[in-house]
Amino acid sequence: MNERCAIVGVGQTHFKKRRDDVSIAGLLREAIDRALADAELTLRDIDAVVIGKAPDAFEGIVMPEIFLADAVGATNKPLLRVHTAGSVGGSTLVVGAHHVITGIHGTVLTVAWEKQSEGNAQWGLAGGRSGGIGAGGAFAPWMRAYIQQSGAPDYIGWMVAVKDRRNAAKNPYAHLKMPDITLEKVKESPMLWDPIRFHESCPSSDGACAAIVTNEEGAKRAPRPPAWIHGLSVRSELGQFPGRNPVRPQAGVECAHDVYRQAGITDPRSQIDMAELYVPFSWYEPMWLEGHDIAGPGEGWKMVDTGETDLGGAFPVNPSGGVLSTNAIGASGMVRFAEAAQQVRGLAGEHQVDGVRTALAQAYGGAAQYFAMGVLRNTPPE
Amino acid sequence: MAANDRGATDIAIVGFAQSQSVRDAAPSEVQLLVPVVADAITAAGIERSDIGFTCAGSCDYLTGGPFAFVSNLEAAGAWPPISESHVEADGAWAMYEAWMRLQEGDIDVALAFGSGKSSPSNPAEVWAQQLDPYYLAPLGVDPVSLAGIQAQALIDAGKATERDFATVVADSRRNAKSNPNAQLSGDYDVDALLAEPYYRRPLRKHDVPPISDAAVAVIMARGDKARELCERPAWIRGMDHRIEAHQPGLRDITSSASTTLAARKAGYDGGPLDVVELSSTFSPQEIILKNAIGLGAGVNVNPSGGPLAANPIMAVGLIRIVEAASRIIDGTANRALAHATSGPLLQQNLVCLLEGE
Amino acid sequence: MRTSHERGIAEVTITVESTIKFPYKRSLGPVIGPFMTALAEQRFIAIRSGSRVICPPLEWDPETAAELPRDFVDVGPAGTVCTWSWVSRPTEQHPLDRPFAFALIKLDGADTALTHVVDVESIDQMSTGMRVAPRWRAERLGHITDVEAFVPGEEAITVNGGVPGEPVTMMSYDASITYKIPVSDNTIKAHEATAQGRLVGLKCPVCERIYARDRGFCPIDTVELTDDHEVELPQRGVVTSYTIITPVQYPGQTETEPFSRVMVLIDEIDVVMMYQPLVDVPVEDVRIGMRVAVVWASEAEKADAGRPGNLVGWMPTGEPDNTDPSLANRIM
Repeated sequence: MNERCAIVGVGQTHFKKRRDDVSIAGLLREAIDRALADAELTLRDIDAVVIGKAPDAFEGIVMPEIFLADAVGATNKPLLRVHTAGSVGGSTLVVGAHHVITGIHGTVLTVAWEKQSEGNAQWGLAGGRSGGIGAGGAFAPWMRAYIQQSGAPDYIGWMVAVKDRRNAAKNPYAHLKMPDITLEKVKESPMLWDPIRFHESCPSSDGACAAIVTNEEGAKRAPRPPAWIHGLSVRSELGQFPGRNPVRPQAGVECAHDVYRQAGITDPRSQIDMAELYVPFSWYEPMWLEGHDIAGPGEGWKMVDTGETDLGGAFPVNPSGGVLSTNAIGASGMVRFAEAAQQVRGLAGEHQVDGVRTALAQAYGGAAQYFAMGVLRNTPPE
Repeated sequence: MAANDRGATDIAIVGFAQSQSVRDAAPSEVQLLVPVVADAITAAGIERSDIGFTCAGSCDYLTGGPFAFVSNLEAAGAWPPISESHVEADGAWAMYEAWMRLQEGDIDVALAFGSGKSSPSNPAEVWAQQLDPYYLAPLGVDPVSLAGIQAQALIDAGKATERDFATVVADSRRNAKSNPNAQLSGDYDVDALLAEPYYRRPLRKHDVPPISDAAVAVIMARGDKARELCERPAWIRGMDHRIEAHQPGLRDITSSASTTLAARKAGYDGGPLDVVELSSTFSPQEIILKNAIGLGAGVNVNPSGGPLAANPIMAVGLIRIVEAASRIIDGTANRALAHATSGPLLQQNLVCLLEGE
Repeated sequence: MRTSHERGIAEVTITVESTIKFPYKRSLGPVIGPFMTALAEQRFIAIRSGSRVICPPLEWDPETAAELPRDFVDVGPAGTVCTWSWVSRPTEQHPLDRPFAFALIKLDGADTALTHVVDVESIDQMSTGMRVAPRWRAERLGHITDVEAFVPGEEAITVNGGVPGEPVTMMSYDASITYKIPVSDNTIKAHEATAQGRLVGLKCPVCERIYARDRGFCPIDTVELTDDHEVELPQRGVVTSYTIITPVQYPGQTETEPFSRVMVLIDEIDVVMMYQPLVDVPVEDVRIGMRVAVVWASEAEKADAGRPGNLVGWMPTGEPDNTDPSLANRIM
């Protein structure tokens, strides 16, 4: 029998360009201790730990969870390390939930992190070699293809940037807070990877995110409302082969349809109240709205244009400020799930969307080829 | 076994494949994997499309690319898209995740694989960077030196002698003679081994594993599907893994508390075992692990030769499970225990208990 | 049922060597920092966890993970070797360039052992239980190697001066790993073809997709690709998408000026070459639909050993642009 499963504790670090005030373990514990406090649990209550992060070269430590084991409370427990590129934070939560759903463990700590300031993410992405085009350079032609195909005006990207940065100003944990940002400022910021401007790109952050996943019994004991998991899915596809469509990757389509099916969603745009989507560059918001069949072909940018994805809109996307405002790569996927959980729990604070009952969390990675998605609700599955 | 048993006891290994382990393989990691995964699928008598979940285990640092693992998707047949995940760990942990995923009951077949090429880099350089980045890595502590420290502690504690180490090596090399995938095999005299010079006293070169490249894949199936695919499936009776504190100075390195715990949690009750496959990377570790699990003198340990005969890091642990499973599937064993390890000095350990019907 | 993969594995013949280096900067936090600061002052500190004294100090108890109060105690400087191993032939990664021992050393007053090195002239001087004391480095940075080595005896060998005045909060770690990556037959054939001014690919016999000449197999059909599958590709095509990259500076990056990368759909056949450089095209002139042809290295350029390859990039042909709107769908 499969167990019902819920997120009962969420913790994030304050994300910054450099967190020189803490060790790596200290960074993780800041998120873990907040998640434990939220759930009113201690590490004694944790049966297993699942850790996620992106490439080890970012910090220059091979399989760093090995040296972190005792600091994160894993001594004498199972500790599993997940690595699925940028989607890893989402995958880590999914793997943690599988421990609970199968009944193997009752309460699992999941934590995802990156301390990019120890190294240099651009160097890491370039494999330590010159001439790296970076994630922005790799994704830019795909975003251009989306713009061409959809006929979206330039300012859509700027609008996403303004919305996310303003949302981030309401999020105490976000890295970039720019309450005064305007379309003009985005438009005038330097072009980094044409068509992507500086203010349309994610920062490089230090930070961690933790989430405590537990079974129905654990959820009943939880002091605050649980975020019930109604659907979880991962999908991967080859990154490069002739004829692949990376603008609307099939793995993303199938991953979305899998979680919708599990959660009984037939019309995502009306049945989902908000979404946290992995948007490291502004254009990825409309691309994922279409890529996950929330909007029809060529309709995603119109949801941005009409303000539907604003904090007060009909389908708010990234009320937390998203990856555009905060990107500790390994953590970013889990932040999407954590923020979606806070929304259904009604605990998102100043960036809370009114009346969220169903939330969608999504993370992607690699050459837009790894996906991890989840549907969370404020009520348990039937 | 009753069909209504809890899921955990209802999953079996029904097919597998491994490459030869070689010192310096010309094929890339993914090129090693491609035929291995294809052979495992053939061995299980399934189609790729039957696989409901795939999990891969590897380490980016072995080949030096920050996203090296992404290429391994090509061996997984990830088009059309598949339900897949990856652990930065030995394939044994990938199998653990896939075994767990199968227990949800919505899929019947899962694939797990592990792959690694240690040859492109110097393991002493790479694995020094796995250690505590403040207190240990800057000292350039290499795995062989650490193993020497552990061996000396074992001798000082009166738990083993250098002759015991050499006996482990001679047994490994002799057993490996019947393993076509092993790198080092042959008949060696214990006294002759003891006459060899020290490499990291008290260890000699033969107490240290070879540098190896290889890949391994395993197909698991649930309940009736397993019986349909395999005449004599290797049922996974239990699987568990545990980790200890990192710093060698914080734990008793002459024992392995996490192995003891993992074996108990995996359901090992001290009963008879027909075969045991241990990830005893250095010869003294076989003695530590046998004590930790509670194995008697007569137990058949590492009939494959174990890691001293071939040590493809990131595959070697899953190879132990495959070697144990193979002997159940072919009917020569009925109860087997396999072990995988990670981290310095047996910091993290996984135990898998397998049985025939 | 049982299969053991028994195909022989070819051994490496040709490799390319590259050393991946990076100067990492680590922040130390509230416990490791004070320990490193103490090292710079030629002292060892430990942290209490209940009745246990842990050295080197940790922020959390290693068993319970409970946060430890910052209750530091001085330990050492002398200590006892708990166990050791002799390194008879040190390598560059080791802290000493002559034979030495790695050892677990329990400093006086501590309950746990520190990992460090012992410098003695000969292995005969090493024994478990021996007493050792630190020999401090003259230039101390607040780093674990501020102790040059432990030496036999009870007395620390101290040095005056060379101490950072401030608390130590950061450390640097210069990582370096050298890789020797095998060069496959297909890669060699790919180089040979470009040296001859030929653009070639490998065509999967099952799905007929065409891959780069250095690809080992079709990942969709998992069919190995060999010389038998080589196909000649036309040397002209059309730009289907592009980006202009403003280089981000990082260690090892030598690019400084904005440069373009384009996707080229090759004429007549279904192949897109991704992220290709353009030659002599101002970045403002790059556009979708631009007709381009291959530019090969000149003899002089070929002679320049530092150059990456013979395919220099692509240059406009001067033909009218291709205005097909569906071009934008072809980026792979």
